[in-house]
Amino acid sequence: MPEHIIIRFENITKQYDNDPPVLTDINFELERGKFYTLLGPSGCGKTTIIRLIAGFIQPTTGGIYFEGKKINHISPDKRRVNTIFQDYALFPHLNVFENVAFGLRIKKMKPELIKEKVEEALRFVNLKGLENREIAGMSGGQQQRVAVARAIVNEPEVLLLDEPLSALDLKLRSEMQYELKELQRNLGITFVFVTHDQEEALALSDEIFVLNNGAIQQRGTPTDIYDEPVNKFVADFIGESNIIPGVMIDDYLVEFVGNRFECVDKGFYPDEPAEIVIRPEDLEITEEDQGKLQVYVDSQLFRGVHYEICCYDKDGNEWLVHSTKKVAVGSKIGLDFAPEDIHVMRLGETEDEFDKRLESYGGVRHAG
Amino acid sequence: MGKTKRLPSIYLAIVFIVLYAPIFYLIYYSFNSAGTMHSFENFTFDWYREVFQDTRLFIILLNTLVIALLSSVISTVIGVVGAIAITRTREKRFRNALLTLNNVMIVSPDVIIGASFLAFFVMIGIKLGFGSVLISHIAFCVPIVVLMVLPNLEEMSPTLIDAARDLGASTWDVLIRVIIPYISPGILGGFFMALTYSLDDFAVTFFVTGSGFSTLSVEIYSLARRGISLTINALSTLIFLITLFLVIGYYIISKQGMKLKEGGISQ
Repeated sequence: MPEHIIIRFENITKQYDNDPPVLTDINFELERGKFYTLLGPSGCGKTTIIRLIAGFIQPTTGGIYFEGKKINHISPDKRRVNTIFQDYALFPHLNVFENVAFGLRIKKMKPELIKEKVEEALRFVNLKGLENREIAGMSGGQQQRVAVARAIVNEPEVLLLDEPLSALDLKLRSEMQYELKELQRNLGITFVFVTHDQEEALALSDEIFVLNNGAIQQRGTPTDIYDEPVNKFVADFIGESNIIPGVMIDDYLVEFVGNRFECVDKGFYPDEPAEIVIRPEDLEITEEDQGKLQVYVDSQLFRGVHYEICCYDKDGNEWLVHSTKKVAVGSKIGLDFAPEDIHVMRLGETEDEFDKRLESYGGVRHAG
Repeated sequence: MGKTKRLPSIYLAIVFIVLYAPIFYLIYYSFNSAGTMHSFENFTFDWYREVFQDTRLFIILLNTLVIALLSSVISTVIGVVGAIAITRTREKRFRNALLTLNNVMIVSPDVIIGASFLAFFVMIGIKLGFGSVLISHIAFCVPIVVLMVLPNLEEMSPTLIDAARDLGASTWDVLIRVIIPYISPGILGGFFMALTYSLDDFAVTFFVTGSGFSTLSVEIYSLARRGISLTINALSTLIFLITLFLVIGYYIISKQGMKLKEGGISQ
């Protein structure tokens, strides 16, 4: 196994009793020093994956490998992995210092060394000077930092983060996003971050795994996943998108809403039915007669940075447009877009098939 | 407005007077030099002196304290282990069955517990005395400890245990460093409850004391049957005071526990 692979999942399935499996035949490899995000709606199995890595649960079938060694039955206290929990799981009966020192005390480290390491970890998360504070008296953001310090003080190879930001308010959340990203860069260890927030995933990750119903729908860099969603679920879950039925007439030619448009996708059968994805921000508003599509403006919401405009075409398809320009509700407008803004999805295509098709025509995943 | 507010407090005052009047009546006459409970002559500590000079009574007092302390410590250990086992039981029906068995012990009348213990000890041939009293006190204290510890265990987030495991703690470390400290208010509460229950138990003890061994409550009962002596009043006053201190101690501890919890919520 190559040196840079730290964790490998091989045909992992997890099933409780006779319930439908939580995870079905999961395979992936995690590289050292990368920021991974497991993204998906609640109940998709993302937390199950990190609980498997941490060792709180064992897979029903399949193998988990850590640096090439199978660790299925190694207990959590013997894995070089630490977790940051959604509710932080700080020990209420211990103060900040003792919370952070917990792992070191169990290792029976010398008190002077513990003091040094704890102070360094607290400095790392900007909590220096709060060693003697009680957990109960701290804000959510501070508790979050204590949880981070408590995990990194043990110098894990992999840090698992189970929706650590979900309990924080919006402003604090985006602050902590920057801090986490910086922390990962400074520590240089692998982060596995679980979230249901697609913006968080796009902002932080080197690589995203999109999960649904216990299976990985798609993996790739944030731009790959945003620009080239493999199916309707991914397109819908990652950002807002217009998904419309269409027909792939020929390579580089797609038909929807009664018109044929040039596009950059190929490898379909002739006249194959498909789904078309166009992101709301890729649609440009023009005069009614100048656009490629003519739509009727149904409603408009001011979102701060942009207007969210909801339109309908003559076939009754809904079109969501993000624009900094305001339009009159009830008017008719034109929508313009470039061939590379159109993304055509084959119905029911899996990630592997999708990758194969991409390779067959040169492997260009156009960047966004 | 003032009237509607005053009425409940008057009612409460009456209830408490009715409840406590006999005890204060008893305490009052424990200082009576006349030796009766109807006409107060002079203030005296004679009855207390008599209590303290009576070595037999002193030994019985010691017995009572030893039984109370031993049974409450042992039942606290058993109760804590039991409560942890109950919360760890995944199977819901089995768990409820365990809880019900626990609660039955608390609600069933002392007389029945005492009688059944007597039958039990006679059957398996345990000599009545210190041992039988201790065992039966442990038996009725364990369910109380379980009941006191259980809420603490149930409000404890399971991720705390995961977190400890994740940080390298063995099962033993988890118990000693996380679970026990977390539930310590419940453990202390349970201990004090067990102590007071054991100290003032009469019915169960009465069945299982045998002839050579006695505790205070049983002794007072037999003294009262023999004839009215104000030493009983003095002794009862002392027991009342000890119990009062225990209750106050328990109250202070549980209040500290509350404070900890309130702090936890206001994050």
